[in-house]
Amino acid sequence: MSTQLQRTETEGDESPQEQRLERKSLAEGEREAQRTEEESTGDETPHVHLKVFRYDPEVEAKREPRFDDFRVPAPQGTTVLDALMYARDEFDSTLTFRHSCRQAVCGSDALFINGSQRLGCQTQIQDLDQRPVRVEPLPHQEVEKDLVVDMEHFYDQMEAVEPYFQGETPDEEEQLQSRENREKVKMSTRCIWCGACQSSCNIAAGDNEYLGPAAINKAYRFAMDEREDDDIKKHRMNILEQEHGVWRCQTQFSCTEVCPKDIPLTEHIQEMKREAVKDNLKFW
Amino acid sequence: MSQSHNRGLIEDFGRWREFAPGMWAWIFHKFTGWVLIGYLFTHVAVLSTAISGPQLYTTTLRSLESLLLVRVLEVGLLAVATFHIMNGIRLLFIDLGVGLESQDKSFYASLVLTGAIAVASVPTFLSGAF
Amino acid sequence: MAERYSSFDRRGWAWFLQRLTAAFLVIVLAFHFMLLHFVNHAYEITFLGSQARMSQVGYFITMVLFLVTATFHGVNGVFNALVNQGLKGTQKKVVLGVLAIAGLGLVIQGIRLALAMTGLV
Repeated sequence: MSTQLQRTETEGDESPQEQRLERKSLAEGEREAQRTEEESTGDETPHVHLKVFRYDPEVEAKREPRFDDFRVPAPQGTTVLDALMYARDEFDSTLTFRHSCRQAVCGSDALFINGSQRLGCQTQIQDLDQRPVRVEPLPHQEVEKDLVVDMEHFYDQMEAVEPYFQGETPDEEEQLQSRENREKVKMSTRCIWCGACQSSCNIAAGDNEYLGPAAINKAYRFAMDEREDDDIKKHRMNILEQEHGVWRCQTQFSCTEVCPKDIPLTEHIQEMKREAVKDNLKFW
Repeated sequence: MSQSHNRGLIEDFGRWREFAPGMWAWIFHKFTGWVLIGYLFTHVAVLSTAISGPQLYTTTLRSLESLLLVRVLEVGLLAVATFHIMNGIRLLFIDLGVGLESQDKSFYASLVLTGAIAVASVPTFLSGAF
Repeated sequence: MAERYSSFDRRGWAWFLQRLTAAFLVIVLAFHFMLLHFVNHAYEITFLGSQARMSQVGYFITMVLFLVTATFHGVNGVFNALVNQGLKGTQKKVVLGVLAIAGLGLVIQGIRLALAMTGLV
């Protein structure tokens, strides 16, 4: 009985939570209306104009790279990846691009969106100022098809710094890391190997042998890990100190600017330079 | 891989409107650096007239200084050197790991300082040139 | 990746020296401009004025150091710019050689004229 009473009470008088939700949806409705006015297309949902880079060596018409136009619905929350998937599913099933997790974890969909390296899944259409939205493959890498680039060289550079833990594991014990040391490498562990930084780097574009920001950041992650021996650290520094290692960085901050995981790449590279100099001066 | 397309470097300078401050700082630093090393060679060449005797040295330099073009170029040289110094200080701090978060602001500061110093020096550099 | 570990890494030293000379040049270049454009005016230049300055031992040493560091900083900067553009192999060696010779030539010529300015040689 009492529960019935309570129910009728709530039905008549909305809880604060419900009121808040209602207000929120109202405000959303207003904003939606504003957007529809902005990008009015006649129908209900706002649309976005995409200009997408196309190239396919196996198709005559696409052997010369060109841009294709797509108009896709873009309600609030639509990401560039969503828009591309819509275009592929509804208009042109040959539109090719890499994607997997759709939540900025797998690192598959780094693209050149409106002149900047970004993850397609992390970039909201609404946050982009320029229309049409230009979607291109990552610069400074060979294009294989449409938005797919050859990542081989990037992976080679990553491999070159031996991106794996090489500490001794004590028998039946956990490899504990101190809190401070964990804090030190925390940001560097966030790398998802998307290649945005490498693509943005002017030096990596010119000097093919340059390790590049992602690889140096990986090296930083392990060189700074106190659980690895001094010998291994020396070995790691040896890789970074080569001519095409840390010294090539010109602190343009392009990599730091585009990193979708906000890793302070330039800062890490700079720290490795100082480590290397300190290393060398010690023998003096 | 059968075939792939190399888009080359078109992205770099064709997209200058999208460059971030750090990139501009680098471009200006490099450009001013080229100017300064070029000037160093010419500077030594001109001053080498001293080896051929005091008279030649004085007349050569005086006649160069009497040209309006040289005076204007000197203001340009001062601007170039000042920017290279200001941005150079910025880069030294970045190398020491100081102020990496405000690298864009420090670039703007070096630009503003360079402009101010160049403008302030115009009277000194052009005095007696007309 | 080479396993050789050298305690005297040439690249590391070049990078470090570029910064050291930079710190020195910042001060001396500013001083140079101040002295020869604001304290003394360039259009009033005479050999005697230059001679008076160059004949002071401290000034002479500073100017020679200025010449040497500026040449290193500039030539190394040019070399780095070219390596950043992907210069490598034989071409790189040739460029390094040419730049080294040009730099050395500049320093020698600079010292010759500095000595000439003192009027002692």
